[in-house]
Amino acid sequence: MSDEKSPFLKYLREDRLPHIFCSGCGIGTIMNGFIQGMEDAEMDFDNIAMVSGIGCSSRIPGYMKCDSLHTTHGRAISFATGLKTSNSDLDVVVFTGDGDAAAIGGNHLIHAARRNINLTVICINNNIYGMTGGQISPTSPHKSYGSTAPYGVDEYPFKLAELVTAAGASYAARWTTLKVDDMVRSIRDALKNPGFSFVEIVSQCPTYYGRKNKLKTPVDMASYFKNNTIFTSELPSYTEKELEGKIVVGEFVNKQKGEFVDNIKNLSKSHYGKDPLIYSAYSEDFD
Amino acid sequence: MIKIDEDLCKGCHLCVFICYKNVYMISSTTNKKGVALPYPKYEKECTSCGDCELICPDQAIDVGVEKHWWLKENSNWKFNPNFSKIKQGD
Repeated sequence: MSDEKSPFLKYLREDRLPHIFCSGCGIGTIMNGFIQGMEDAEMDFDNIAMVSGIGCSSRIPGYMKCDSLHTTHGRAISFATGLKTSNSDLDVVVFTGDGDAAAIGGNHLIHAARRNINLTVICINNNIYGMTGGQISPTSPHKSYGSTAPYGVDEYPFKLAELVTAAGASYAARWTTLKVDDMVRSIRDALKNPGFSFVEIVSQCPTYYGRKNKLKTPVDMASYFKNNTIFTSELPSYTEKELEGKIVVGEFVNKQKGEFVDNIKNLSKSHYGKDPLIYSAYSEDFD
Repeated sequence: MIKIDEDLCKGCHLCVFICYKNVYMISSTTNKKGVALPYPKYEKECTSCGDCELICPDQAIDVGVEKHWWLKENSNWKFNPNFSKIKQGD
């Protein structure tokens, strides 16, 4: 039955493997989780377009056998908005990191959530700028160390899933790479959801985050995640002091609202009686 | 049958960590890249949950879970027949 290879390899460009990610990096796990979630959602792999910005996580579309767009730093969601509006039949998936989505592209993220455009954003949060050498990012936890914070970070981190929930997304969830089954289920729901869906996955970065914070091996980081996760259903039994340094995982919002492209179509139909002009530069000549 | 691809594995040992039946052990010898590969020592314990296959960041593990394994002819599993609409032989 099985041809003695991993079942995820048939979606990857095998001539480029083994990939560039460090040993124990969580991005490979997220690639597996995305492929499994896509199979569970029964989506067409040829109809998926992947958009990514700059960063370690944005190298994922380069390893997948599908259409992809590798764009400028932080503007992945803007490019994806244009792609989705011009061709609304595509299933657009955005892979971003925390520096890409929260630091330089923060405004694009919250405004895409406010518009509720039908994108699936998978944000790989490794708490640090991994590609450029371990500088602290907006999601670095309080009192963690980095190469630009040798005495510890004094600021408090962004909580991305809560931020996107407050901005008005229709699906937001946070998981860690250890909770693979929940992650797969969440990605499946996010792909099926008609509206802005945001899945934040807290990932391990043993090379930079782990080395500066006394968690040198991938297994150390994995056990740290395992011991410090709290489900959203358990939240009322914790005080604010106990929650410091913990990772709250779970589904934050799952509700339906009016979608951006549908709203444009309805507007065009109510005023002009036809769909907006897509692929139709000379359509009036043939009428 | 668990297969580990020697060329793809980078030796992060996350499979050793996540396996709840402790199937894997770390070998004492290394391969040509200097990586101490894990190997399935107690394969009889494996319940084919597929978590190691999912968590492997380098797509090196194949657990070999067959699709619709519960519909095999000599299986002892007794499910509700309406549970799956897929017929035998597919």
